[in-house]
Amino acid sequence: MLAIKIWNYFRGYVIIRVEGLTLEKFLNLATNKDIYLWDIERIEYTIIEAKVSVKGFKSLRKIVRKVGCRVYIVEKRGFPFLLEKLRKRKMLGFGFIIFIGLIFFLTSFIWNIEILGNEKIKDEEIINFLEEMDVGKGRFKHKVDLDKLKSNILDNFQRLSFASVEFKGTKLLIEVKEQDLPPKEIDKDTPCNIVAKKKGVIEKVIAKNGKGIVSEGEVVKKGQLLITGVIEDELLENNILVHSEGEALARTRYSRKKEEPIEKTVKEETGNIYTVKEIKFGKKGIGLSKIDIPFKEYIEEVEEEPLIEKFGDDFPVKVVTYKYIEVEKKKIKHNIDSLKKSTQVLAVQEINKKLPKDAKIISKDVIYLEEENKLITEVIIEVIEDIGEKQIIYNKED
Amino acid sequence: MKKRMDQIKSNVSDIFELPKDIVMDLPKITIVGNMQVIITNHKGLIEYTKNIIRVNTNCGVLKIIGADMCIKTIITEEIIIIGTIEGIEFLY
Repeated sequence: MLAIKIWNYFRGYVIIRVEGLTLEKFLNLATNKDIYLWDIERIEYTIIEAKVSVKGFKSLRKIVRKVGCRVYIVEKRGFPFLLEKLRKRKMLGFGFIIFIGLIFFLTSFIWNIEILGNEKIKDEEIINFLEEMDVGKGRFKHKVDLDKLKSNILDNFQRLSFASVEFKGTKLLIEVKEQDLPPKEIDKDTPCNIVAKKKGVIEKVIAKNGKGIVSEGEVVKKGQLLITGVIEDELLENNILVHSEGEALARTRYSRKKEEPIEKTVKEETGNIYTVKEIKFGKKGIGLSKIDIPFKEYIEEVEEEPLIEKFGDDFPVKVVTYKYIEVEKKKIKHNIDSLKKSTQVLAVQEINKKLPKDAKIISKDVIYLEEENKLITEVIIEVIEDIGEKQIIYNKED
Repeated sequence: MKKRMDQIKSNVSDIFELPKDIVMDLPKITIVGNMQVIITNHKGLIEYTKNIIRVNTNCGVLKIIGADMCIKTIITEEIIIIGTIEGIEFLY
């Protein structure tokens, strides 16, 4: 049925009004002549209205003469008649063509670049690289070779393990995945020193290669030389440079301070919620209901979502919901003993995260201090760990 | 003579299980609820008003009574009538 309607619309049809006495005869003759009439409606005893195709209307004339009734057109409908109208209004059609052309033209540019998934590499770095590749805002989309761009990005940024480049409308979407690079291994043949990476008290220096230059009990600072790769000899003119290797065990301290108020004010929700909605156009907001919060103490929660979900977060019209939750302030006094325990455990946990795997714990100290309604807990842990770090010796003569 | 012919035709269609509307050139009337009547194999319109439509067929005049009726389609084989149908009867 719909297909026929669409077909009729494209072919064009007319609504005719037939006046006469023997209208049934008119209808019968029309059917005999294979003229397709539809939606025949009786208006009055002598009048009917019907729809007929343009071609059918022309062949109706013979029947009209035979039957002796009058036919006139009430309305012309369909695509051909629309075209006829448009032909008279040339500028309208011209404007329409320009409009469509403009849309096609403007959507063939990149208007936005979005980079997802990067943590350490900054957006600007990637965008600058894209600029070098002649890809940026306002460039033609079809000039960009996506596969090439993708492999170029992967080549340029060693840290990236995955990259995907695609267009979403006028947006260039670059999705990357960063890879954790292992610390650089120094080649076995490169001469190097071992220096301290943090301060500590030296317990033992085992030099497998090179020469240890610090003794037990010495306090070393960060960056201080522990095992040198430069071997001096009176017999030789030049110093020998070696790749030093070894362990430098030292006592180091880790401390952590925690402050916790003994008396605390806790906000408790009463369960009363007052919501206000607002429509936002771009950055301007229009309040739908008056902001008149009936609570003394409250927490404000703001939720923003686009008016039409489908268009995503970029859609400029947004609905903002302000939620005001009434709260009641209550003072709670903690039990000092349990507070001490909990803060200590927390501090130890935090230190544990920092400790290197091979560290050996020698001692643990906990200091409590009560001060102005506050409990200060300090945990100090002493460990023995390897603080050596390789550092390449650069030849000064070079 | 004609009656005898019809009788033979009816018997033949019975024996060979042929549809009677084709063998005997009879109308086939389909009613959809109380809102649509489809008459295939009609022999022309006799009367058409909003309340009464009379259609000529091979087995007499078919009278359709209803309200707000209008002819959706009319071609040589078929008439589709829509509207509120109240009754259908054959007038001989």
